[in-house]
Amino acid sequence: MLQNLQDSFYVNFIKENRWQYLTDGLKVTLIVTFFAVIVGIVFGTLIAIIRSTHDKTGKLTILDILARIYITVIRGTPVVVQLMIIYFVIFASSDIDKTVVAVLAFGMNSSAYVAEIVRSGIMSVDSGQFEAGRSLGFNYIQTMRYIILPQALKNILPALGNEFIVLLKETSVSGYIALQDLTKGGDIIRSRTFDAFMPLFAVALIYLVLVLIFTKLVNMLERRMRNSER
Amino acid sequence: MSVNGDVLIKVEGLKKSFGGFHALDGITEEIRKGEVVVIVGPSGSGKSTFLRSLNLLEVPTEGHIYFEGVDITDKKTDLDKHRQKMGMVFQHFNLFPHKTILDNITLAPIKLLGMTKEEAEKKAMDLLKRVGLQDKADSYPSRLSGGQKQRIAIVRSLAMDPDVMLFDEPTSALDPEMVGEVLELMKQLAKDGMTMVVVTHEMGFAKEVASRVLFVDEGKVKEQNTPEEFFSNPKDPRLKEFLSKIL
Repeated sequence: MLQNLQDSFYVNFIKENRWQYLTDGLKVTLIVTFFAVIVGIVFGTLIAIIRSTHDKTGKLTILDILARIYITVIRGTPVVVQLMIIYFVIFASSDIDKTVVAVLAFGMNSSAYVAEIVRSGIMSVDSGQFEAGRSLGFNYIQTMRYIILPQALKNILPALGNEFIVLLKETSVSGYIALQDLTKGGDIIRSRTFDAFMPLFAVALIYLVLVLIFTKLVNMLERRMRNSER
Repeated sequence: MSVNGDVLIKVEGLKKSFGGFHALDGITEEIRKGEVVVIVGPSGSGKSTFLRSLNLLEVPTEGHIYFEGVDITDKKTDLDKHRQKMGMVFQHFNLFPHKTILDNITLAPIKLLGMTKEEAEKKAMDLLKRVGLQDKADSYPSRLSGGQKQRIAIVRSLAMDPDVMLFDEPTSALDPEMVGEVLELMKQLAKDGMTMVVVTHEMGFAKEVASRVLFVDEGKVKEQNTPEEFFSNPKDPRLKEFLSKIL
């Protein structure tokens, strides 16, 4: 039994340096996740500000409608379909880096969810905070920036952390556009060795460790932000 | 008290309705420099709405408000610039919970008046000393009592060197033992010549400090007078009824 495991480990990871499929894939997964998170935050926050500005002031009606359509479409269709549409349809005729396509697809997908999270955070800040800012002479954008968003961020940090854990795992469908991420890397090993157990469990374990590390980081950040109010 | 100062705020035919409800039903009024105008009235009378209209936190449905000669209800007016000169103190303090007391006070002077951090902090510390809270500079608002929070909120407004201070029921959310310290600070301000408009239920404050008392009811100013006359010789039947209930 133990001998079997050892042999299997050797064939799947050591032989022909197959472990590199996993490390190279991990690199791609981390890069795609990292930049997709940034796209998601920037774009999502922008949409959230448009939506909540409309809710609060009644302005930006057209942008609000566009934002709502965007959120509905993005949340209403599977991310893997969006990924393929961007790669095989939108960038069909151009020679674009698959990593960039993945960052765009996952980032845009995430932004729709982030937008709703951030919007709920903005709405959760007491309206008196807004009035205090405006009465001091801050304009709408300054009030958002210095007073509302910092408080909103604190309220939504757990939900945001959760969203990025989901995003990290969602990048596992990158293989659909033949991008060699972590999951695809494990899959390539499987196709070489005809062994499903070892590569798949190794891939699963790596995702699990990543999520645990990320959860820990979010928790630490959360605690630090809470402490800063005392 | 200089009751003959220049007109600072002029309100003309102010109306505000929410749906079909007329919160303000045509108010015309003047606030002069150095005056302490206290506004009283039953709840739901429109007194807070009136006060909040003065810096356009409530946008009037009809009418004009002139502040230092400028029509701030005009869409073309740079309202934010004028609000810098109108301090406002809220019932629920509305300190910024994510900032220290010092940062609460210096945020607006640094970002809006272009003060350096050092200048703003020096000024903030001077003001904090004046209210005896300099040791709280590095605390967060959650560490303060209600009375301390409200005094900080007043200081935060003062840091902008306002020409008028608006108080929206500043002591209504306080435990009784903390009302005194806030009123004391407000009296101090009045004595220093600050123009103040105060919505309050503290009749003692009105009697002692006000240069004029307004009775607002059903969205109108039903009666106004010097505090002596206002309390000893009320004429409006609704005011008589109101005073008999609270005094």
